[in-house]
Amino acid sequence: MKVIGAVFVIVAILVGIVPMFTDCESAGRMLTLADGRQVSMKCHWTGLAELGVSLPLLVVGGLMIFSQHKESRRTLGIVGSSLGAVVLLLPTVLIGVCMNPDMPCVSIMKPSLLLMGAVVVVAGLGAVGLNWGSEQQAA
Amino acid sequence: MKLIRLAISNLAGSSFRSWLVFFCSALMAGFVVSGTLVIRGADSSLRLALERLGADIIVVPKGNSQRLETALLMGIPAHMWMPDTVVDDIRAVSGVEAASPQIYLSTLRGAVCCSVPEMFLIAYDPDTDFTLKPWLEKNLEGGLALAEAVGGSLVFVPVQDGALLVYGTSLELKGTLEATGTGLDQSMFFTFDTAFKIAEESSDLAVKVLDIPPRTVSSVLVRVGMDQDPHQVALAIAEKLPNVTPMETSSLFQGQREQILSLLNSVVALLGITWLLGMGLTTVIFALAVNQRRRQIGVMRALGARRTVVLQSLLMEAGLLAIAGGIQGIAIAALAIYLFRPLIVRLMGVPFLFPGFLPLAGLGLGALALVLVGVLLAAAIPIVRVSLQDPAISMRE
Repeated sequence: MKVIGAVFVIVAILVGIVPMFTDCESAGRMLTLADGRQVSMKCHWTGLAELGVSLPLLVVGGLMIFSQHKESRRTLGIVGSSLGAVVLLLPTVLIGVCMNPDMPCVSIMKPSLLLMGAVVVVAGLGAVGLNWGSEQQAA
Repeated sequence: MKLIRLAISNLAGSSFRSWLVFFCSALMAGFVVSGTLVIRGADSSLRLALERLGADIIVVPKGNSQRLETALLMGIPAHMWMPDTVVDDIRAVSGVEAASPQIYLSTLRGAVCCSVPEMFLIAYDPDTDFTLKPWLEKNLEGGLALAEAVGGSLVFVPVQDGALLVYGTSLELKGTLEATGTGLDQSMFFTFDTAFKIAEESSDLAVKVLDIPPRTVSSVLVRVGMDQDPHQVALAIAEKLPNVTPMETSSLFQGQREQILSLLNSVVALLGITWLLGMGLTTVIFALAVNQRRRQIGVMRALGARRTVVLQSLLMEAGLLAIAGGIQGIAIAALAIYLFRPLIVRLMGVPFLFPGFLPLAGLGLGALALVLVGVLLAAAIPIVRVSLQDPAISMRE
């Protein structure tokens, strides 16, 4: 379980960091409004939301590493999987990324988040599966 | 069944070593799958693009061969013109069986009169065409009528427009061609009549007029006779018409092919290193594991377990780790290549076609079998050595 916890921690850090360097704003691209003001594109908000998801995922990973009980590991697996699903949904359904396929958020940020989200979902489900049954049954 | 349980409990007992072998297997399988996917994807993409062209020679105005290759590969529109008298001149060359002209156009960027910006448009002559004809005859009875088009696999009708707008003219998308992974997937095909209709209406409907110079074509697709050598025919065309470049399709995309070849060399070298390290690490890990379990193995043998049972149990551990790690590596590698394919295409400068489910499943199973054999071979060296040892000596050590 320590390995799954470590996977959660590593992916959580990457989920928080990768968008900071791969959204369009990091490449110096912003939307210019009619009045001349410059505003962030939606990939930037996806990146910030991912940072918000990465923090609880980091905590879940940490708890998973030190957790001794099957029930708590199972619950942490479910929470981790759910957070992984949010990682997947933010750049696809909930907020999205820019339209232009040449933008870094489309070619790098979105696929990275989808890959990491999928890894977290599968690892979380793996933790649930490996901790199935109660402590008494195992004994 | 009992052997599997014994193997699983042994694996759970030494989780750090198990995870190490698991990650080695994942890495080995992942490298095999990602390397093969990229190389085969690029290769099959070029092959399909050449098949789609369906001609032996493409004749373009002199100095435009590179632009045409880029247009066909990456879908970047190319505009080139030559007098349409060239078509008859080419037909008169000995060895030419059929010649069909095409006109290359493109949609406007950032204009509401075009649904898709800068799409490569190919107009063909339905009377002489022999490249699209086989597909059209199979899928569309009667071919394409006026204001009808077929598109590459990535061409679709935008929901907000309800139709494909090209310079303000609404086109009906009658069909979609099979994916090639090249720029042809983002191209649209229609007849000369449709092209002239779009050009005529563009002055009223579009923000910019579509200009097709009168009595001109962009390229001529040539099919040579059955017993003719395309190279000789191309030379004859070049000799007779000095203002054109005949491009043999068999030698098209030469730069991209060389790039794939050099990529193949790098991938093979990387694979070799990964496998050598992976198998080496697996051997060391299993040597440590069996060394630590000598007494346990000795007790098993002393209690009557045959040598083959010990051998099978230990190989089962290696096999289970190889399969679990292999599946993980294959899944992650395939998903990563699928998600990052636009970036890979951009970085390699070579088109890339992701395979369908069946070829992918075949590749996955092949990679899994390879990893299984590799890990079993690596683990077999220390395992066979310990299983051959006398139980008394094993327990004493």
